[in-house]
Order: sequence, then structure tokens, then C-alpha cells
Amino acid sequence: MREQPNERIATDAIKAWKLTAQLIAIIPLLITIGAFVAAYFFDFLSYWIGIVLAVLTVLEWIISILIIPKLRWRRWRYQIYDQEIYIQHGILIVTRTVVPMIRVQHVDTQQGPILKKYGLSTLQISTAATTHEIPALIEDEAADLRDQISELARVEQDDV
Amino acid sequence: MSEPKRLHPAGMIFSIFQAIRHSVFGFLPLVIIAVGNDAWFYVILGASILIGLIILFSVLSWLRYNYQLEEDQIRIEQGILIRKKRTISKHRIQSIDLSQNIIHRIFGLTKVQIETAGSDHRIDAALSAVTMADGKMLHDQLKYKKQVTETDVNGEEQDLKEEVHEQDHPQKKITPKALFVAGSTSGSFGIILGLAGLAFSELETFIPDRFYNQATEWVFSQAVQVLIALAVIVLILLWVLGILSTIIQYWNFTITRYDKELFITRGLLEKKQSTIPLKRIQAVGIKETIIRQPLGLASVYVEIASGEIGQNQEMHTLIFPIMRKKHIASFLKDILPEYRYQPEGLVKLPTKAIPYYIIRSVIIPLIATVVVAVQFTEFTWIPGIVMLLSCIYGYFQYKTTGYLIQDQQLLVQSRTISKDTALVPHKRLQSLQKKQHILHRKQGLATLDTAILNKFVGRHFIVRELNVEDVDQIADWYSYRKKPLS
Repeated sequence: MREQPNERIATDAIKAWKLTAQLIAIIPLLITIGAFVAAYFFDFLSYWIGIVLAVLTVLEWIISILIIPKLRWRRWRYQIYDQEIYIQHGILIVTRTVVPMIRVQHVDTQQGPILKKYGLSTLQISTAATTHEIPALIEDEAADLRDQISELARVEQDDV
Repeated sequence: MSEPKRLHPAGMIFSIFQAIRHSVFGFLPLVIIAVGNDAWFYVILGASILIGLIILFSVLSWLRYNYQLEEDQIRIEQGILIRKKRTISKHRIQSIDLSQNIIHRIFGLTKVQIETAGSDHRIDAALSAVTMADGKMLHDQLKYKKQVTETDVNGEEQDLKEEVHEQDHPQKKITPKALFVAGSTSGSFGIILGLAGLAFSELETFIPDRFYNQATEWVFSQAVQVLIALAVIVLILLWVLGILSTIIQYWNFTITRYDKELFITRGLLEKKQSTIPLKRIQAVGIKETIIRQPLGLASVYVEIASGEIGQNQEMHTLIFPIMRKKHIASFLKDILPEYRYQPEGLVKLPTKAIPYYIIRSVIIPLIATVVVAVQFTEFTWIPGIVMLLSCIYGYFQYKTTGYLIQDQQLLVQSRTISKDTALVPHKRLQSLQKKQHILHRKQGLATLDTAILNKFVGRHFIVRELNVEDVDQIADWYSYRKKPLS
């Protein structure tokens, strides 16, 4: 656990995350518009609330779309060994995870509409007690990895 | 192999009691409203109809329930409208436990619980009342005949066999004195206090106002000394109740180690057996509550994979209610030699971790203090004391935390309020994580997070702010990469 893992996830992950963030950013935008509309109709509400909200919305937009996806992608790394899976992720808190192959119970790939648009899918690895994810791999690669892991995990499966 | 059999008629009593108990809570609010409106007639009418229905259903379901022992399986048929037949193969049975409550003991009966390996509990079966002889027969038929290599002793030679078992297998029994100590240090009077409070608040609605007022008047008219004396008496009473409940629960607690399982019997009024297959044990834990720790006492428990989720049991299973801490090592050596407890050489946290622990425990009281100090300045001392206490708590958490690697076993010591030491074998750790945030990276610290499987989703052992080299060392030990698979 001294060196970081080698493999990176697909570069399109950044685009997919940006799109997700754009969609989420609609919510604060709507709230801001709502605040302005409310301030227009009710006298006791000040426009300042709307202005503060607008500033916050723009800030949220900048952070979640221009900054976070890139940093997140840069940090995300993984490596599959014959005996274990090694994952690194996290922007402020960097987490490195080791999952031994013989503890793996099942592997899934999954794909939502946004990931599908970019031809990506998420690999999910479950042990008896925990689940781990490698998000946004190229579809075929994810499928190959899934098969590879389940092949490796099949060896020497003792109880629990 | 044998004819289909019904349960003992007493089984009906159990199902009646159970159904009434379940329905009481559902109908209580209704009853209270009705009583409030003086609708006694309807309450009694409704209750008698309900009880009549329950009795009818219990009798019918008793009539329709039967079990049959076959060559190497047990077949159970049940259901009034929907008939269900279930066959449980002998090879799939993990454990069969006999337990008796008071009613069982009056009639010389026993409850038989059959547990299978799966995590699906609808597959498990429980025969609520069979005669003791039948219960023993079921137990022996379904369990011991499985091992063909064992000499084929059954039926009449049963008693003899039990004796042989007792001689061959390590066994440990609790002494009444130890049990008394366990009860008096259990701290369960807190729970009983809560229960008593709850019961009182429920009862309050039934106590006539006049009486209630008189009583409160009387209480408030007494001198402070009398009130204190009353409080002390109540506390002592609760404490004695706590001791009694421990004694009733764990009377004659006996644990026996067989080849592949642990076998526990306990209970004064209700005799309970439980079987813990060794394969299912995920970790052994040693718990020292703040009352017991200064006395050098601890209880020992195991974490079991899946198990009876539905049965409203505690998170883990005690394998010994109380013992001197210095005896734990030899106890484990006898009963569970797969695990060992030698906490000497525990790797502690570096001093630079102290601020993290104190800040974490102090942050919420600190906010509270600031709020109180601004709003009600004269009461600042109350959250101030809380803050001081949490400071001490944080420091003790730091002091307690540590880990130790011994061959294939990881020992993790931590404290929530009680001190908890867990012994986890390498192969039971499901995954391992190392977490660092920016400050950690600057200071060369890291947090370790590793998980095992237990009754619910899994239990995480988290050791915060270890030296990064220590975490790397644990990771190296954990990694399957370098060494050959064992």
C-alpha cells in the first residue's frame, strides 16, 4: 500500500461526471429563481436572499463542474492483481482499499443513462461485508474485468 | 422412519400467548381511547371476540401442524388455509437447540430449534412444544447420526454418551459467585430504569387522577433527606433487579467445546441451549465496561456470520458472561485455541494523534457551550462540564486504541465507552482500507478501516490516526500478493 495503483479509469469519466453535476446544479438554480420570484411578489422578502443564493449557485457550479471531476479523475486509480484488487480514490480523504480475490462474492457491472451516453459502465465488487466500486470504465473493459475477477475469485473459495 | 406427529397440546397455549402478546400492542391505543370514553362494554366485547378468534386459530393450526422424522430428513407440514410442507435435509442442519421456559418445564416439554446454514431464516424451523424424550430423540437422530465415523450410539446409551462428551471435551462453567459479580457490575439497572420509566408512563393513564395528585403532593411535601433516601432505595432496588435478571439469564452458564462447534447451555427459569458452529465465528471480542475494567473483569463474546437476525438478539453472542482478565488467555486456549489473547506489545498511536481524538470528541459540546454562553451566560458551566468530560473521554479513547499482529491474527483494541478488544483471523477480514486526508499526509498519519461479516451488514474495525508506516505494515501483512496462499 505504499505505491499507488497503476491503472486509470476512462478519461470520459470527467465528461460524465460534469454532465451529472450540470444536472444536479439545476436544483440550486431553480431555488434561486424561486427566491427572486418570491421577492418580486412578497414585499417582506428582500432581494438580498436571491442575490446571496445566486452567488452560492455560481460557486457550486464552478466547484462541482470545473474543479471536482478533474481532481477526482486524477486521484482515481486501480489495479487488478491475481490475488487482490487495489483501489485508490478520494479528493480530500485519500482512501486505498485492498480486496482479496478469495473474499470476493460477486462482481457486477452497471450503467445508468449518463454513463451509457459515453459508453462507460461501473464495476461493483462485493465481499460478504463490504461493496467497492470502480466507476466509469470503458464498457468492454468493464465487462472483461468483471469476467476476469469472477474467474480469479472462483479459485479457492472457502467458507465465508 | 416414524409416524407423523403433532406437537404437544401445550403448543396451543404458546401460540395463544404469543398471538395475544402481539395483538396487545396493536390494540392498546384503541383500548385506551375506548376506556377514556367509558366504553367498557365494547372493550370487553372486542377483547373476547379477539381472544376467541385467537384460540380458534391456535387450535386449528395445532391440528394442522405435524412433523415427521424420515431417513435423513425431517418433514414439517403446517398451515390452515395454505398448506406448507417443508423438508429439511439432515446434512444441511447446522444446529439443533433445545430450550425450555417455565411452562415447558411444568409439562416436561421442550422447544426444538433447527437452524440451517443459509442466511435465509424462513428456512429454519422451530417446534414449539414436544416432549423431552421426543426432543432428545430428534436432536440425536438429526445430529449425531450424521457423523457415521462416530460409534453408532443412540437412544438408551444417550446418558453414557453425554458423560463421555463431558470428559473428552473442554468445558467451562460459571460459578454462582461469579454470576453475582457479573450481575452487580452489569450496569443493566440503567436499562431497567428506562423500562420502569416507560412502564410508569404507560400506567399513568390508568391511575386515577385523585390518587396521583395525592401521591405527588405527599412526595413534594417531604423533606429533601427523605427524597434522597427514596431515590437511593429505588436505585438499590433496580440494582438488585439487575443482579436477579443476570442470574436468571445466565444461571449455570456452561460452555463446551466440541470438534466443530461450541455448545452453550444457560438459564434458570428458561433453559436455553445454543450451538455455535466454529465455521461461523468471525471474530472473538473481549469487552470491559467502565465498571468492570477497574476490577479487572471482562466478558467474552463472538461475532457470528448471519445467525438469527429476526430473533431480536444482541449483536454478538456471549461465550462467557464474566471472568478475570488474566484468565482469558487460558480460557481461549481451552475453548477456542484458534484464537489467542496476548495483548503484550500492543502497538499504540503516536502522540501527534492526540489532538485529533480530543477535537473529535469535543467539537459538539464546544458548539453547545458557545451557543449556551451566548444565550444563557449564567448556565455556561453545564456544557462546560460536558466539554471537560468529553475531553477526558477523547484522551482515554486515544490511550486505549492500538493493534497487534500475531501470526495470522489481528488484535484491535478500541473504546467507545467500554473497552473492546477484538481478535480477528486474517482470513476473516473482508477488505482493508487506508485513509488519509491532507493533514494526515503532512503528519505521516493514516486511518485503518477493515471489515468482518457479522449478523447484519458487517462490522468495521477502524483505527484512526495510526502511523502511516504501521498501516503499511498491516497492509503488507494483509496482502495476499507476496506470500503463497495459505
